Amino acid sequence: MTMTWLLVRRYRLPLLCWTALVTALCSTPSAYQSAYATAEQRRTAVVLAQNNPASTLVYGRLPDPGTAAQMFAWEIGAFVTILTAIMAVVVAVTLTRTAEDDGSLELLRGCGVPPMRPLHSALVILAVQSGVLAVACTGAVLATSRTADGVTGAGAAAFGAVVGLTFATVAAVTVLLAQVAATAGQARLLGFTALGAAFAARAIADTRHLGTLNRLSPLGLRAVTGPFTEDRWGALLPGLLAVVILGGTAVLLCARREFGAGLLPRRDRRGGRLRIRTTVGLAARLARPALLSWTVAVAAIGTLFAAMGSGTVEQQRDGEVGGFLGSQLGAGDPAAEYLAYCGTVVGIVVSTYAILSILAGLRAEDTGRTGLVLVTGVRRWAPTAAQAVVTAAGCLVVLTITGVISALITPSVLDGDDIGPRSLAYTVGQWPAAMASIGCATLLVGAFPRLSGLAWLPLLASSGLALLGELLGVPRRIQDLGFFRHVPDVAGPDPHVTPLLVLIAAGAVLVLLGAAGSTRRDLRAG
Amino acid sequence: MTEPPIDVSGLVKRFGGYTAVGGLDLRVGPAEVHGFLGPNGAGKSTTIRVLLGLHHADAGRVRVLGRDPARQAAEVTRRISYVPGEVTLWPNLTGQEILDAFAGLRGSRDKAAEKRLAGAFALDTGRLVRTYSKGNRQKVALVAAFAARTDLLILDEPTSGLDPLMEEVFQGAVRDAAAAGRTVLLSSHILGEVEDLCDAVTIIKDGHLVESGQLSDMRHLAASVVTAHLPGRDAATVMARLRQTGLTGETTAGTVRLAVPRDLVPAVLAILADADAPDITCTPASLEDLFLRHYVVAPR
Repeated sequence: MTMTWLLVRRYRLPLLCWTALVTALCSTPSAYQSAYATAEQRRTAVVLAQNNPASTLVYGRLPDPGTAAQMFAWEIGAFVTILTAIMAVVVAVTLTRTAEDDGSLELLRGCGVPPMRPLHSALVILAVQSGVLAVACTGAVLATSRTADGVTGAGAAAFGAVVGLTFATVAAVTVLLAQVAATAGQARLLGFTALGAAFAARAIADTRHLGTLNRLSPLGLRAVTGPFTEDRWGALLPGLLAVVILGGTAVLLCARREFGAGLLPRRDRRGGRLRIRTTVGLAARLARPALLSWTVAVAAIGTLFAAMGSGTVEQQRDGEVGGFLGSQLGAGDPAAEYLAYCGTVVGIVVSTYAILSILAGLRAEDTGRTGLVLVTGVRRWAPTAAQAVVTAAGCLVVLTITGVISALITPSVLDGDDIGPRSLAYTVGQWPAAMASIGCATLLVGAFPRLSGLAWLPLLASSGLALLGELLGVPRRIQDLGFFRHVPDVAGPDPHVTPLLVLIAAGAVLVLLGAAGSTRRDLRAG
Repeated sequence: MTEPPIDVSGLVKRFGGYTAVGGLDLRVGPAEVHGFLGPNGAGKSTTIRVLLGLHHADAGRVRVLGRDPARQAAEVTRRISYVPGEVTLWPNLTGQEILDAFAGLRGSRDKAAEKRLAGAFALDTGRLVRTYSKGNRQKVALVAAFAARTDLLILDEPTSGLDPLMEEVFQGAVRDAAAAGRTVLLSSHILGEVEDLCDAVTIIKDGHLVESGQLSDMRHLAASVVTAHLPGRDAATVMARLRQTGLTGETTAGTVRLAVPRDLVPAVLAILADADAPDITCTPASLEDLFLRHYVVAPR
């Protein structure tokens, strides 16, 4: 048990945070009760959702009659199961391979821990975590039974069981892949690839009416179980059996691989040369792998998000969208307002990338790599400035590619004027917001590295103002202080770009201050 | 007169209320291999970071290659090669790509020297850094440092991960660098390495200078160790005669052992020869004898 407790102790914070996030999402069925004023409006929304291919692709099929509980399980249920699956990949790799790669498990193995004990402990923790998720989600949904139609004890328990089993299945697949992969990073990549395949299988099953495929995908458990509709408990049994078989196979494979290695050979060699002469060149080369992943992820999610708005836009044209989404759409052209909302979400995600990228510069300083760069004759401010420049360019690349793809695809699925140009402008127009985030993070990393955690504060506050400001009745002048929702409608009369220029200027000034600040302090290590 | 490559006087560096270096003087002459010694936490690495301009001095005068590293860090470090004790590199780059990056940033490279040194250190530069052992990461930094066209090498415990064969290669590289007129500041706990390579040493403890000077002069001032084996009955008599010269020593099972200042060595050897001692050895002071007493520290 010591090994199990040690792993729990080491990773308790991420485990708790993931659980809290998923549970919080499960307490939202009542929002679907209040979103529609009349039964007629709800019926219209249900019909639109059932006939919208993009919504079916993302969320699956919405069952009749479309009660608040069913809409919750359909829409939030999709997010919850995807988030749970992402959590399962991250946590499973962390528990099984990260400790091997960073060397900490080697010390424990040297203290007499048997070879298979770490995997056994990881499997125990994953099983318990799966149970915790099931219970927590059931409880969170059940707590809303008086405020949302269709929420039943059996339905809530079935929904919780689906979430728990989704976690267990994806975790078991990832643990198995972690025995095959050469490194923790590769295990994570394989896990996410498997997750992508699971999503594709579920999407094909729902859009092409191939229900059998849903039985093969962990993300299809929600559809085959049907919480709040059929509550088919028997549909969970194949999943449970799969978890046992996958876990057992992982244990067998673990016994056949070397410590710190997988069954796949590791790619150890490369023959290329690095032709760089500046810190910007080095930062760009180092940022390349992460930028590629973020570009693919943001472009896929951003385009999908924009493309599935036809139902919402149609409803908004009749003035029927209320609640959170209604607050996002405002009073302008419904298509433009929806694309602005999608742009805001993309902007928040890209700003997250920006802050992570700037904070990576601080990690390089802490590990001594920045010191090695500086002693080649590089100016003290150059690594800080280079990280900001490369991050800004990276954000522009992500936004431009997302915007162009979205502009090419969205016009064919969303009715309205100038959909392509608007889609492009609302996405690329988020670059000034990303610049502002880069500026704040660079100032803190450069001048006040101990406070670098505060770099998230402006993003959190701006996201809160953009997503909840209208709903909570925050005065407009306060909302305008946020980084997002300043992109004008390019197809509208007299687009106003001054706020965007202010954001760019503020970001640039803060970057300069951060770079200057770095010259006035000691390097943290190196 | 040419300014020495490293000229530090009264260096003070504090971290909050903790004084890491308190008024240190350090002077390293041109083309000199200078040992920089002291126990863990003595302030060696902090001093080195000030020399590189990575840390700012709180007081004192610091000149490296004739410039102030706090104000002209880039100009100074462009002419310096530095190897830290713990080398952390980018795991997803190969050794060759790291060498390319360092040379590219510095703006000059000696490809032939780089290739020769990589061969001498048996470094496979085509491998990704994440597959390197600690010693191999150290080798990348050493190859980059020696191959760069710089005037001053600052090496902070550079051989902690190297095997004995590579230690030989390292010593050869340091000698070649010194022969080429480059100055070397070598911080190390391997006293044998310092003894073999260094012309001069500076010892610091608790952030203060303890001793500094040419190694030969310091040896000259230190005591040699004389041992002799005598028949049991004679040992006490001989020891009594030796004590008359003002020396103290010990006698164990007929063996006399005592520390003898350099000027008294002939007199002591005469007494022992007079007593017909069959085995007499006289060992000059080693670096270990000179320095180990300074390594005893209280926690700070």
